[in-house]
Amino acid sequence: MTGPAPQPMIAAEEVGIHFPVGRGRVLKAVDGVSLAVMKGETFGVIGESGSGKTTLGRAMVCLEKPSAGRIRHAGTDPYALSSRELRRHRRQYQIVFQDPNAALNPRMSIIDSIREPMDVAAELPRAEREERARALMERVGLSPDFARRYPHELSGGQKQRVCIARVLTLRPSVIVCDEAVSALDVSIQADILNLLAELQQEFGLTYVFITHNLGVVAHVSDRIAVMYLGRIVELGRTEDVIERPVHPYTEALLSAEPVALPADLRPNKRIVLEGELPSPVSPPSGCRFRTRCRFVQPLCAEQEPPWRESGAGHWSACHFAGELHLMSNAELHPHRNVAERQP
Amino acid sequence: MAAAEPLLDVRDLGIAFRTGGGMVQVTREVSFSIAPGEAVGLVGESGCGKTVTGLALMGLLPRATSTVSGQVLLDGENLVGMAPRDFRRRRGSKISMIFQEPMSALDPVFTIGEQISETLRTHHPVSRKEARERGIEALAKVGIPEPTLRYDSYPHQLSGGMRQRAMIAIAIVCEPRLLIADEPTTALDVTVQAQIVDVLGDLCSRLGMAMLFITHDLGLVAETCSRLVTMYAGEVIEQGAIDDVLRRPRHPYTSGLLRSLPALAERKSRLPAIAGRVPARGEIPPGCRFRPRCGFAEPPCEAEQPLHAIPPAGQVRCCRHDQIALAGVLS
Repeated sequence: MTGPAPQPMIAAEEVGIHFPVGRGRVLKAVDGVSLAVMKGETFGVIGESGSGKTTLGRAMVCLEKPSAGRIRHAGTDPYALSSRELRRHRRQYQIVFQDPNAALNPRMSIIDSIREPMDVAAELPRAEREERARALMERVGLSPDFARRYPHELSGGQKQRVCIARVLTLRPSVIVCDEAVSALDVSIQADILNLLAELQQEFGLTYVFITHNLGVVAHVSDRIAVMYLGRIVELGRTEDVIERPVHPYTEALLSAEPVALPADLRPNKRIVLEGELPSPVSPPSGCRFRTRCRFVQPLCAEQEPPWRESGAGHWSACHFAGELHLMSNAELHPHRNVAERQP
Repeated sequence: MAAAEPLLDVRDLGIAFRTGGGMVQVTREVSFSIAPGEAVGLVGESGCGKTVTGLALMGLLPRATSTVSGQVLLDGENLVGMAPRDFRRRRGSKISMIFQEPMSALDPVFTIGEQISETLRTHHPVSRKEARERGIEALAKVGIPEPTLRYDSYPHQLSGGMRQRAMIAIAIVCEPRLLIADEPTTALDVTVQAQIVDVLGDLCSRLGMAMLFITHDLGLVAETCSRLVTMYAGEVIEQGAIDDVLRRPRHPYTSGLLRSLPALAERKSRLPAIAGRVPARGEIPPGCRFRPRCGFAEPPCEAEQPLHAIPPAGQVRCCRHDQIALAGVLS
């Protein structure tokens, strides 16, 4: 290491987010999560419903206050700020949601929706706000004709472009994309992913990409965190996690993803997880994945697996990390190798 | 496959809806067939007409506001224009359907068991006791643990995956010849999706049931179906054996869909998206409907496009199909 390590844009330290669910019971949607999102990277969070990925994403932009641990933004503790300072600070940390219909006010015209964050901030003169809103509208690929139209006149992809233009108006440094392309058709999804990649270059953005879609997260992310029942079970560089998973849950997720390939190039073995996601109100003792794990041992019920580094920057929480014979990428995704060999 | 007598033969199916501005043609000339025990994938983006096609096959489009033309032959019997009373006898027993959102398809005030036995007792003169036995059997067939217990559960007591299994159980309890599955796993997680897809595949092979799998996910079609039918703006634009189409699509739209999948692209690369968007109902261009978005469009594309045969069993609606080299999943 030379020089001081750069401050992560988002640092989560043992973050827990707990919701009371009545009769004294507590749902720990996020439980003891630590991670660091570095400047300029795309950090992917993947997990199934109930894994806590959305709650974690909301905590990253101060929409959910951690019940335990803390979140730091580039060294600053946002909750140590006065409410006035926090309002100003959080402009740097924006979020794009899955459903643009719910995110846009149906009674506001497109240009008004895009300009609204600047109107609330009230820092620029009106004419300049209008100009920036129009420029961004064009930048995200919407024709100026849309300015005076309303959300119901736009397609899903166009509405998502409006949401993206809107979060860009305050010149954020971090954007959390929570299933931002999940509701879109594949061709539109490809368009929006291309747009987000261009904007990242242009504005030097840091992204947190939360999704259940493995194809999307593997395509855009530099690093990936895999969540299960409120915990991160594996974290590492995308190629490591995708090609050499060390946690059995990651292996199962990779194996469950259907791939559009001819039969002879598809994985012939598939791991289908047995059973259901346990209730997050009373998670299993020890390793939370043990009830569905094909390698389960008595130790898994007795002790919580330690968070260990198995390769450079490749972390996981499994008692037997590195010792299990997990299906390799070549077995899970033979096409990646085959495709490279094509002339 | 082509040799077997088709179980379902859809010929020139056209669907029109009555709107304030007159009749609007939603699909036209939709033709495809399904052999007994075969699984066929019907794909396309939102608004291409795949769901209404499924609803038309089930006779579920409202008669007052829609018209269906052409023929739907199930075991040689035309379902289009069949009297509602006759259709009711076939729906649920010979042809069944499952939907994307199991919670809105199940009735929250009846137990799973009541909903299964309702279907069974509508079509077969069985006693309550026997209906219960066969209902529990159906729940076991779709992989529901403790089926005896679950038979008396209400839908809200089940998880999303279990509800979808329960809905499949209702659909298959009469052992239909054809199951129409409309985005049955879209609302589910991938690991649950894998379980449901296994159940459906297993039912097809064990019961010899045919399936029309309606989805936008080409990966799912690759895993579950032997043939693919692609729709665009209300028309069938390509069909063929799934592996042939994946390797070598003949229509620029199918090729575009395959190429825009991030899972198959090089990491971090720019995805080859399809420019433009699906035309709205009133804006469908004459000639090839994909022409405004197509990189290969030439003057001949402005003419009406017939289907061209692609041996051995494929079809494509593109006049330039033998002049252009299209990328598939491996190129």
